[in-house]
Amino acid sequence: MKKLVLFLSLTIAGLHYLSAQNEVLVEAESFISKGGWVVDPQFVEQMGSPYLMAHGMGAPVLNATTTINLKETGKYHVWVRTKNWVPGNWEAPGRFNVIINGKVLKNTLGLENDWTWEYAGKTRIKSHKVAIELNDLTGFNGRCDALYFSKTKEVPTNDTHRLAVWRKTVLGEPTAPEKTITFDLVITGGGLAGCAAAIAAAEQGLKVALIHDRPVLGGNASEEIRVHTLGIYGKYERILKMIDTEHYPNGSYKAKYDQEKRDKNMKSIENISLFLNWRAYDVLAENNSIQYVDARQTATGERIRFEAPLFVDSTGDGWIGFWAGAEFSYGRESVNKYDEEWEKWGELWSPEVGDNFVMGSSVLWQTEKKQTKQAFPKTPWASDVSGNHAAIAGEWYWEFSRNDLHQIHDAETIRDHMLRAIYGSFSKAKNDNKNDNIKLDWVSYLIGKRESRRLVGDHIFTFKDVRDLTKFKDSVVMEIREVDVHFQQNLKDEDKPDFLSTALFFETPKYYIPYRSLYSKNIANLFMAGRNFSCSHVGLGGPRVMLTTGQMGAAVGFASAICKKYSVNPRGVYTEHLEEYMELIEKQQ
Amino acid sequence: MFFNMDQEYKEIALDQEIFNFTGQDTTVVHQLRMLSDSLGAPRFFYADIETPVCADGECKLAKIKVYWNLLGNYVGFGVFEKTPLTKNEHDPFTHADYKKLHQLLGDRYSVLERRKMDDLIDEVPIVGEALKTYKGIDAISGATKKEIKESVVKGGLYSCYTLWHLANGAIVKAMKSHLETIYSDAITNYLLKSSYLDYQEYGLKKLRKEKFEEHIEDVLRIFHTTTPITRAYILKKIPNELFQKEIVTSNFYSKFHEVDKNTRTQLIAKMIQSDPKSSELLVIHIDIMTNNQLESYLELLKKHSAYLNEFIKKELKTYARSKDVKYNLKVTEFIREV
Ligand SMILES: Cc1cc2nc3c(=O)[nH]c(=O)nc-3n(C[C@H](O)[C@H](O)[C@H](O)COP(=O)(O)OP(=O)(O)OC[C@H]3O[C@@H](n4cnc5c(N)ncnc54)[C@H](O)[C@@H]3O)c2cc1C
Repeated sequence: MKKLVLFLSLTIAGLHYLSAQNEVLVEAESFISKGGWVVDPQFVEQMGSPYLMAHGMGAPVLNATTTINLKETGKYHVWVRTKNWVPGNWEAPGRFNVIINGKVLKNTLGLENDWTWEYAGKTRIKSHKVAIELNDLTGFNGRCDALYFSKTKEVPTNDTHRLAVWRKTVLGEPTAPEKTITFDLVITGGGLAGCAAAIAAAEQGLKVALIHDRPVLGGNASEEIRVHTLGIYGKYERILKMIDTEHYPNGSYKAKYDQEKRDKNMKSIENISLFLNWRAYDVLAENNSIQYVDARQTATGERIRFEAPLFVDSTGDGWIGFWAGAEFSYGRESVNKYDEEWEKWGELWSPEVGDNFVMGSSVLWQTEKKQTKQAFPKTPWASDVSGNHAAIAGEWYWEFSRNDLHQIHDAETIRDHMLRAIYGSFSKAKNDNKNDNIKLDWVSYLIGKRESRRLVGDHIFTFKDVRDLTKFKDSVVMEIREVDVHFQQNLKDEDKPDFLSTALFFETPKYYIPYRSLYSKNIANLFMAGRNFSCSHVGLGGPRVMLTTGQMGAAVGFASAICKKYSVNPRGVYTEHLEEYMELIEKQQ
Repeated sequence: MFFNMDQEYKEIALDQEIFNFTGQDTTVVHQLRMLSDSLGAPRFFYADIETPVCADGECKLAKIKVYWNLLGNYVGFGVFEKTPLTKNEHDPFTHADYKKLHQLLGDRYSVLERRKMDDLIDEVPIVGEALKTYKGIDAISGATKKEIKESVVKGGLYSCYTLWHLANGAIVKAMKSHLETIYSDAITNYLLKSSYLDYQEYGLKKLRKEKFEEHIEDVLRIFHTTTPITRAYILKKIPNELFQKEIVTSNFYSKFHEVDKNTRTQLIAKMIQSDPKSSELLVIHIDIMTNNQLESYLELLKKHSAYLNEFIKKELKTYARSKDVKYNLKVTEFIREV
């Protein structure tokens, strides 16, 4: 409820209070009861806020409800920030309406392109306490970012930058978070890498904060995304066994058991302060050194500043590094840049001239056979994507990447494209009687990513290191699993759906990753672990699997202990204390 | 005989020995031969293979002629009437089995590549839970046993496995290396003029930038018929001086609406390296651009006035007034700004 603010309107430029009319901004994610709607905080950097989404897989979800206090009664205009996620010549798939004090507002919402303020209608408020409901009409991913009540009919801005400023002003938010906490090590991103880093550092006595934007830990391995962990434990079996998964098929409900194990273990470790449902949104770096990370609670909007001498970026997308100004790379390098040729696969493996054909993101899904017939709605708005493809099961190769789309900036478009692929293909399969009893059981609404920003370290790990089996004096990660790089099937055959990929596998006996790939080249106190470590596009092909990223995490966790002991930066561990560090790692099992 | 390049095969007049090789896990030596046309132009690699196929300690001899194209890619095989390939119970392969084998041998991505023979022994039908544990793995076993079963001849798993590895194994690289030793401009010419995607791709790789102009007709023909990945390659490699010629620009951009989305992105990005005619050919297709493509296009128009003429402005205005709601706000805003 903290984000629900009532105040007198003011002009943005001068922050002067005007006492003309009342206005209220209600952030949807702060609704007291979410009903069947889910909080989606994945695209905050692009569209400005976490939002509520009616992810009902074709069945309308229960209403989200809340109550607010309005200082003044009377007539209000209500706008809702939403979007039609598949504009076209069909009924918009994500339609919903707003109910105020039991009365449905006139306009159906979710109809316009892009994130905009849609006018819901006017309402007469008779008492100060107002009940608001979001009423889903389709079960197909209607979304609501915020509601705006105003006595005038002036629509708030749609420009993302101005909107951010307006939001802060309307919510009366001071520039800095209300609260500051200091730790020895602040880790952002609770995937396998972040969790392992937290355990290793905490075991060494460091006070650790782990900031993670979901209610459960594990990232892609969590029960929310359901990818199982591959790779070996290397030197860190004890740590990684606390957080890994069984070898079930991707998308399996069994992810839930490993989730319980992981969360229980993580919560039981002394020295780790977990900040679940907190999303980091900014960093201050001075003289190339990070001072703090600011994070926001994804539902309440509460904010905390995390200060520490050392930071780990295990967000997968390299956010901490990006905000701090760390060097990073994105896309495929020229084959000659790091000598990464695999002649057999030529351009598919590594191109003569670099480009943006990165590995794509996926949305996993599962169906179940029931005893009775199961209906599924028609999805005309999906067929542009799914075409004639029919399917009753998803797989890792349901993957999407296209060269006009950035895996971070366009992640919502990519996720939505996958949703259309899934709903459309499933709907098509349901035309066949033999699938009558198949029910769409689970579709993730979280996008599982493979590749985006890669932060640059003192060493850039490449395919050459794998091929040459290079041993480093600071080898802290080892792996025997094949290197696999994916490409979209439609690059080789245009008739294939654009959401399917193929993997190319390179067998390896054992390769090593040096510690120098796990800290930033230009941000002095920043470690990185996980798929945003320092590597080339093909270099990422092997180590992006989660026991390998977990090994990276554990390695930086131990390095942070050496940093603390000698008051050195991550690089200092390599230049001054390598022997001690390697001994510490050697001792683990 | 199953063969993908019949026409070329008819032209074969010469057969010449090149070198010997051995298959995977055996010491049996095979002879690699080169087949050429009457003028001596190389056309195929070829080997008469006799190899033991072993299962459960029992081995049988499989006799087969295997053909590869100049790049070492499998193109066909032939068997002798008297010595057909056989299955587990010594039954001969049927026509359908041979067809399947042909398909399998031509699949460079086959799941058999990363499988050891031992992994394949499970002949028990895989159902229910067992199948579940094999499916859906982003790595180690990208393939399921079911997938393997589907791709091989029923009862002929071991023959399929052995022959796939012979046809697609280390010999492929050796053939490519051999091609290098006899490579010539005539071969480039042959590859570029052919209708085979792998030939075209290789020809383009070998085509030096200064030779692009000489082969521009081939390049354009290939561009309009090849795969997206090869289109990308052409657009990256074509020299700017050539790309900028109005006739070349027009040829690339006039079929903007017919090429795949990835290529469209590249064409838009390359607009400023082309003749301004490109912009006119693009503006009539903004309705099929993706959001980001349209943004890039408008951004380029803003920055490079040479690509924004009256015709384009008129077209944009017409679009902004049209019923296509997808982008009209964006275009209207753009018109206002310029
Ligand atoms: C469909 C699919 C199949 C795959 N198959 C396998 C497989 O079989 N086995 C395997 O091991 N790997 C597999 N991978 C690869 C692997 O899951 C990824 O490479 C994974 O991202 C690596 O884990 P990580 O530790 O780097 O981080 P992630 O698992 O990506 O975790 C990072 C976490 O940080 C959180 N985060 C991001 N930004 C912020 C922020 N600003 N504030 C707070 N939290 C934030 C995110 O929510 C995320 O959960 C697969 C990937 C996909 C998509």
